[in-house]
Amino acid sequence: MTRAPARRRTELGLIFLVVILTGGLYALAGFGKAGDLPADMGPFLGIIFALLLVGHVAMRRLAPNADPILLPTAGLLNGIGYVFIARLSTHEARLQAVWTAVGMAAFVATLALVRRARDLERYRYTFAFLGIGLLLLPLVPGVGENINGARLWVHLGSLNFQPGEIAKLALAVFFSSALVERADLLSKATRRVGRFLVLDPRYLAPILAAWGLSLVIFLAENDLGSSFLFFALFIGLLWVSTGRTYYLGLGAGLFAIGSYLALNVIGHAQSRVQAWLNPWAHPSTSGYQIIQGEFAIAAGGLFGEGPGQSNASHIPEASTDLIFAVIADELGLMGAAAMLFAYLLMVGTGLRIAVRCERQFEKLLATGLSLILGVQTFVIVGGVTRLIPLTGVTLPFVSYGGSSLVANYILLAVLLRISHDTETPRPTDQIPELYGTGAASL
Amino acid sequence: MNRQIRLLGLGIMVLFVALFIQLNYLQIVHAKALEANPLNSRAVVQEYTAKRGDIVSADGITLAASVPTADQFKYLREYPTGALFEQVTGYFSFIYGSDGAERSYDKVLTGSQSPFKLPTSLSGLRNLLTNRDQSQSIILTVLDKLQTVAEQQLAGRTGTVVALNPQTGAILAMYSNPTFDPNLISGHDLTKVQANYKALTRIPGGVFAPGGYEQRWFPGSTFKVITASAVYDRQPALAAKTYPTLGALALPDTINRLHNFGGEVCGGQLPELFTVSCDTGFGQIGLDLGASALASEAGSFGFDQTPPIDLPFAVQSSFPSASSFTQDLPGLAYSAIGQQDVQATPLEMAMVAGAIADGGKMMTPHILDRVTNSQNQVVSTYQPKVWQQATSPATAAQMTTLMLSVVNSPQGTGVLARIPGVAVAAKTGTAQTGTGKIDAWFIAFAPAVDPTIAVAVLLPNQPSQDEYQGGTLSAPIAKAVIQAYLSSGAAPAHLAAAP
Repeated sequence: MTRAPARRRTELGLIFLVVILTGGLYALAGFGKAGDLPADMGPFLGIIFALLLVGHVAMRRLAPNADPILLPTAGLLNGIGYVFIARLSTHEARLQAVWTAVGMAAFVATLALVRRARDLERYRYTFAFLGIGLLLLPLVPGVGENINGARLWVHLGSLNFQPGEIAKLALAVFFSSALVERADLLSKATRRVGRFLVLDPRYLAPILAAWGLSLVIFLAENDLGSSFLFFALFIGLLWVSTGRTYYLGLGAGLFAIGSYLALNVIGHAQSRVQAWLNPWAHPSTSGYQIIQGEFAIAAGGLFGEGPGQSNASHIPEASTDLIFAVIADELGLMGAAAMLFAYLLMVGTGLRIAVRCERQFEKLLATGLSLILGVQTFVIVGGVTRLIPLTGVTLPFVSYGGSSLVANYILLAVLLRISHDTETPRPTDQIPELYGTGAASL
Repeated sequence: MNRQIRLLGLGIMVLFVALFIQLNYLQIVHAKALEANPLNSRAVVQEYTAKRGDIVSADGITLAASVPTADQFKYLREYPTGALFEQVTGYFSFIYGSDGAERSYDKVLTGSQSPFKLPTSLSGLRNLLTNRDQSQSIILTVLDKLQTVAEQQLAGRTGTVVALNPQTGAILAMYSNPTFDPNLISGHDLTKVQANYKALTRIPGGVFAPGGYEQRWFPGSTFKVITASAVYDRQPALAAKTYPTLGALALPDTINRLHNFGGEVCGGQLPELFTVSCDTGFGQIGLDLGASALASEAGSFGFDQTPPIDLPFAVQSSFPSASSFTQDLPGLAYSAIGQQDVQATPLEMAMVAGAIADGGKMMTPHILDRVTNSQNQVVSTYQPKVWQQATSPATAAQMTTLMLSVVNSPQGTGVLARIPGVAVAAKTGTAQTGTGKIDAWFIAFAPAVDPTIAVAVLLPNQPSQDEYQGGTLSAPIAKAVIQAYLSSGAAPAHLAAAP
């Protein structure tokens, strides 16, 4: 138990650093935009510090042995995101501040409710139904809403919510537990087709059904980014749990088929791909967003135009899909690369938690959650930089949007819960001599 | 499983490295090409969206102001006085660029004239971190009151009024018809702006070339001020020579004769010739002076040089080179009376009157009086400068006497410019354009002692009726402008003051 306070002290130190960094950035953005300190400089610093402190205190009480890096890094990204949202729209900034508070509340609640990560395993079918139910919700007439050609919104009164964000987490839990249960069966070839040994499809059926159903729903809602993310999550977990490279091949094949179908069936997908391959063909319509994003990123250069100093009004969806373009414009390659590094740090930490984990379910869940974070970041940043087609997923912790923020804080809480479980010696553990040398396996 | 997890981590790292490489490509390698892409309006918009200060008339009327907007251009440039000041302020349009003071004082208005400087103070550091409000306002020498008088006097007719302070070169009024409302092309509805622009280009007379300093006409008899000055400066004996009374002057090398306007007969000594604006007499004076004397006199009065006014695209007034007359002596006679190939802008002719008024000194004409920052503090004040010495003080004094008689002598052509209690010195001009029409000129300054205003008025392409149209049509306009300036408190002390 002597390590626990040290980890938390590290966390607290990092939180101070985060408050200083985001506060400085907020001040610079205020200077850049209006030539003066933002009027709410004091409240900003107070609130960001208070929110992170709430998370920190919750960690001390509920998960004292968990990793010290994840929470401050998430706070940093959240803070940078807020600064840029505030720089683009005061109205959105106010909402984002409220959502950040809700996200932190969800973080604490998750830590409090999920006292042991393995408890989640018992509710796997609840999570499966929850996940699929949430995915279906936007399709219910009267509740769902189309925004920018994708039907993935639900409104409750005046609040818009993207249930897909939460569904991803629920399904990650379901996949992890279902795959762990079947791992042995799935990794042993039991049927012979010609010269090849293949798996008995019976064991795969329920998982394939869940995956297929969710994929169909995603495509019906025109949310290509999420459906790719979801697909990658499923294939990744299948591969990790079975150790069979065979599944990566299967995934690639399925992806090819899926892409072919999407391109030929969904007009939305086709226009996205065309805009990716040649945005210059329609510079003022379908290619506009991508081109303006590229111009903004190029204008940033090595050091950026300076926070608050660019004219971001060229960029459509600047606070959500294209927020990375605004950041790359104003902070330059230096700032943008630093942000990528922050994400890589989070993903790496998550995977490290997975590696150190002894129980299969938690291991797989931690892998899945880290994968979600990494792939989602890649999908949106790759889209904005025209490495891959642009699809509207959020930049985790940074983009404007409540559901995404809340979901990511829940994701963070689950990862930290697993980390705490792993790092806490349990009397029931039969192999205490291995504990403490776990790092060697890294 | 751990092996797969590590491989997964590696895979994600590879993806992020790809992102990093792509960022390098966009922000470093390919950045210049993207910036130069014609579709990239960021630089243009950035320039266009910089906050600009106001343009204010000498009597405190806002002529141009930037109003914040919610669109990508951030500020809408508005011209509250509409067409009245267009040829001074110019316009500031996203599509068509800028003109007038908006163009010549662009960097002053945006406050961007100082490039990058390492901050040496806290406020310097603040400026480095912000690229906003460094805007400055410019206060012009032009008076709204005088500009309004000019507009009312022209009453919609094509024509130009230029008034300046001869002691400082400060432009007091510069108004021309046709003109246009710059709000038509400074708007943000670009389709509408394009339609408006198209309609404006169809207006005859060229609204985009201000009549005051971008268009030239035959100066006609107003040029006799320069011819007469040349006599005093270069061949004073001619001033005492009596020229024969003629209706038409026989010219060398030709059977054509130079006729007085409307068959009039005149002659006598220089003062008499000047007062009645005798063409035959001045034609002979031109021949007597010789080409080089006349050409250099025109040069010292500012011909064939771009006037150093702080407005863009000002054109030169032109007098043919001395050598061009060696084979064309009749041309020299015609040039001496401001015809043939002599061309002048109204600004130039106002400066000619100003030079006589100010003891032969030609001041640098300017519209800027002072620059203020966003805190309304004066940043800099225009210091009047002598452009060149057009003639000697003695000649200027002689010329003042001649020009006074144009107004005060009963035979004078400018009697309509008489103002009770004010000695007005003037010269009329009725230039024949060769199409049966005349350009009616009037140049003047007042008061004759310690003059504070010099004026040039031009009404081009008037139907030809008599010899005195410069006096009948244009003189009343000049009179009204002079009266308005002298009679009221229109002249702020700092403008009237001698340098």
